[in-house]
Amino acid sequence: MDLRHSDSDEEFRKELRAWLDTNLPTEMRQPEFWRGKSDDERFEIRREWEAGKARAGFAGIVWPTEYGGRGGTPTMKAIYDEEMAKANAPSSVNPLGLAFLAPTVMALGTEEQKQEIIKPLLHCEVIWCQGFSEPGAGSDLAALSMKAEQQGDEYVLNGQKIWTTNAMHGDKIFTLARTSSPEGGKKHAGISMLLVDMHQPGISARPLKQMTGASEFGEVFYTDATVAVTDILGGEGNGWATAMLLLSFERGSSAISQYTEFHKQWEEVVELAQTLDRDGRPAAQDPVLRQKLAQSLVDLECLKYHSWHVLTQTSQGKDLGFEASMTKMMWSDTFRRVSDTYESVVGLGFQVPDPREDLSLTELSSLAMWSRSCTIWGGSQQVQRTVVAERVLGLPR
Amino acid sequence: MQFQLTDEQRALQDAVRSYLRDRFGPDKVRALYEDPTSDGVPADLWRALGEQGWLAVLVPEEHDGIGLGLLDAAVLARAFGAGTVPGPWTSTVVLGEALRLAGSPEQQKSLLPGIAAGEVKGAVALLTPGSSTPSGAPAQASGGTLSGTLAMVEYAEVADSLLVAAQDGLYLVDPKGSGVTITAHETLDRTSRLSTVVLDGAAGDKLEGSSPEVVQELLDRAAVLIANELVGLARFSLNDTVEYDKTRVQFGKPVGSFQAIKHHLADLHMMTVMAEHAGLYAAHAADVDAADKQVAASIAKAKASDVAFEVTGAMIQYHGGIGYTWEHHAHFYFKRANRLQHTWGDASQHRERIARLVIDTAQSSDATGVAPSGTADAQGSGVAAGAA
Repeated sequence: MDLRHSDSDEEFRKELRAWLDTNLPTEMRQPEFWRGKSDDERFEIRREWEAGKARAGFAGIVWPTEYGGRGGTPTMKAIYDEEMAKANAPSSVNPLGLAFLAPTVMALGTEEQKQEIIKPLLHCEVIWCQGFSEPGAGSDLAALSMKAEQQGDEYVLNGQKIWTTNAMHGDKIFTLARTSSPEGGKKHAGISMLLVDMHQPGISARPLKQMTGASEFGEVFYTDATVAVTDILGGEGNGWATAMLLLSFERGSSAISQYTEFHKQWEEVVELAQTLDRDGRPAAQDPVLRQKLAQSLVDLECLKYHSWHVLTQTSQGKDLGFEASMTKMMWSDTFRRVSDTYESVVGLGFQVPDPREDLSLTELSSLAMWSRSCTIWGGSQQVQRTVVAERVLGLPR
Repeated sequence: MQFQLTDEQRALQDAVRSYLRDRFGPDKVRALYEDPTSDGVPADLWRALGEQGWLAVLVPEEHDGIGLGLLDAAVLARAFGAGTVPGPWTSTVVLGEALRLAGSPEQQKSLLPGIAAGEVKGAVALLTPGSSTPSGAPAQASGGTLSGTLAMVEYAEVADSLLVAAQDGLYLVDPKGSGVTITAHETLDRTSRLSTVVLDGAAGDKLEGSSPEVVQELLDRAAVLIANELVGLARFSLNDTVEYDKTRVQFGKPVGSFQAIKHHLADLHMMTVMAEHAGLYAAHAADVDAADKQVAASIAKAKASDVAFEVTGAMIQYHGGIGYTWEHHAHFYFKRANRLQHTWGDASQHRERIARLVIDTAQSSDATGVAPSGTADAQGSGVAAGAA
C-alpha cells in the first residue's frame, strides 16, 4: 500500500494550483458572488471561465492531445477533480458532454467524430445535452418511444425528452431514438444514439422548475426535427449498448471530487453545529447530533478510501465494469446522509435562508435539496441496487 | 497510488485461507460449540499459528519475530474472522505489542520470543466493561500489587501472561500466581472463552514505558485488528448468504431474485466494501504513522461493528428457518459479531471519539462547549486528505 502520487503527477498539481491562484478570482470562489445573478448570467460567466481554462490546457485531462486533451494519467484527472473542488472553482457548464459524451466518443466514435466533437466541447463552444428520459421512459429507459424515420440521408425525429439538464443552454443533444422497430418485441433493439443540432425549427425547449426553485433542467420537444443519418454514435441500432457504456463512465469516476465537495459541506455543518444553540449548549455537544456528525464523517472517509480503490484500478488499466454502479450509489448516498445531518443540525432553520443576521443558509439548504436529486438521476438508487445485485453479486433476475 | 495489498500480503492471505480450508473447517468450529467446557484452544490449530509465524507477525526480528506491520496482521485478522477461528490470537498479539511499546529489554526478552513461537498465550484486561478510553483501567495498583475485578477477559484460563491496565500504567500478572482468581463463564460465542478475573493483591510487573498514550495506541491497534476481523466475518457471511439465496427456491423462483432481498444484499455488499477499505486504511495509517491514524482507527471500528452485526443478522434472516437452527453456522457468525462489535469500544463509542478528535478540536476558542470527558486522545489530529 502506497498512497503517494508520482512526482510528475504532483508536479501537475502544483501547475494547476498556480494557474488557479492567478486565474480564479477570489470573489468567484465565494457564494456571495453568484447570489442575485440570473441563471443566464451565471451560465455565461462559467462558460467564459471554463473556456479560458481549456485554452490554458486544463481540460480533457486524460484525453489525447490531438483532440484537444492534455494526454495525462488517471491520477492527474483525480488530482484535477480534487483541486477544482478544493478551490471552489465553478462547476462545468458542459457536464453531460464531459462526463458522458466525450468518453463515449473516444471509445466508439469515428475519427471524424473525435475531431469534430471533443475540442469544441472542451472549449465550451458546443454545449451538449442528453436526450434519454421521456415522460413514459424513466428508469425503464428502453421503453422510450422517440421515433426517427429515415427520409433520404436524414432521420426525421418526433417525440419528447424530459429532465434535460441545460435544456435552455444546449447547442446539441445526444438523443436516444428508435431508428427501426424492435424485432420480436425486444425493446432494447432498434435504438440509435443520434447527435442532434438543437438550433433548428423542429426543436423547442421549455424549462422545468426544480424543488430548489432553480431551472437547471427542462423538456425538449422534437417536431419533425432532422439529423443526418451519419450523425450516429456507436452505429445504427446499437443505441442501447452505446447508452449503457456512456452511463458507466459517470458511474465509474473516482468520486474524489464528490468527496472533496461533501467534506467541505460537512465542515460547514460542523461549524454551524458549534454556533447553534440547542438546550443551552452548542448543537455540536448534543450527544445524538454528535453521533450523526461523526457517522457522516465515517461515510465520507469511506468514500475517500473508495476513490483511492477506484483510482488504483483505473491506473492499472482495469475496467471496473458493473462495480461502477457502486461508486455512484456510494457518493450519492453519502451526500444525502451528510445533507440529512445538516437538516438535523439546522432544524427549523432549513425553512428560512437567513435565520440570523450573520447567518446565510442559502447554499447549505440548496445543497441539501440537490442531494435529493442525485439518488435519482443517472439511474436511480433502486435501479443501481438491481445492477449491483445481479451483475456484481450474481443474484438471479 | 496503490490502495491495495502487496503481492506478499496476498500470498499471506492465500496461505492462511488455504490452511483454514484444509485443516480447520466448519466441523472443527462446530466441535467447540459442542464442547463448551473445553479450553477453547484446539492444540493443533494453536501449534500451526506458531509454526506458520502468524503469532510472530508484529514481533520485532531481534526477538525472533518477523517484524511486519499492522496491515499484515490485519490480513490475518480478516481471515480469522472469516473462519471464526478460536483462540487467544488477538490478545497474544496485543500483549506482544504492549511489550514492544512499553516493556523493558528484559521483559521483552523474556516473553517476545515465546509469543512469536506460539509458546506464550496472552490475555489482556485494559478496560472495564462499558469503557473505551484509557481512563477505563480496571485495576488499582498499590505497592507493586494489583487489585480489582477484571470482567470479560478472553482466555484468562489458558493464558501464560496477563496484561492489566491499572490507574498508573500497564502490568504483567502471572495468571497462575497467588491473589488471582479466575472464574470462567459459559460464553455465547463458543469460539471464545470469557472469564472474570479477580485480583486481590496479585504481584504485578510494571511495564515502565507505559503511559496513557501507549495505552491509547494499544487500544487503537487492537480496535484496528478487531475491525478487520469483523470485516472478514462480514464478507464471509454476506457471500455465504448470497450463494444460498441463489439456490433456495420459493414461489417458483430463487429467493435471491426478489428485490426485497436482493436490494438489501446489494446494500450490505457496499457497506462491507466500505468496511473493508476502512479496515485496510486504518492499519496502513498506523504503519506509516499518518496524521489521522487515530481517527482512522475509530472509523474502521465504528464501520465494521455496524456492518458485521447487520450482515450476520441478515444472514440468519435470509436463510429463513434453517438460519435460526443450531445446526446451521449462521449463529457462529452472529454471536461472534456481537462479541467483537462490543470489544475495544463499540460503534457509538468510536463515533463519540471521532467527534472528540475532529469536531471538538475544530471548535472556535470562544465557544462554550461542554468539555469532553478527560481522555488522553483529545489532543488528536484531524483527518488528513491523504497520508504517505
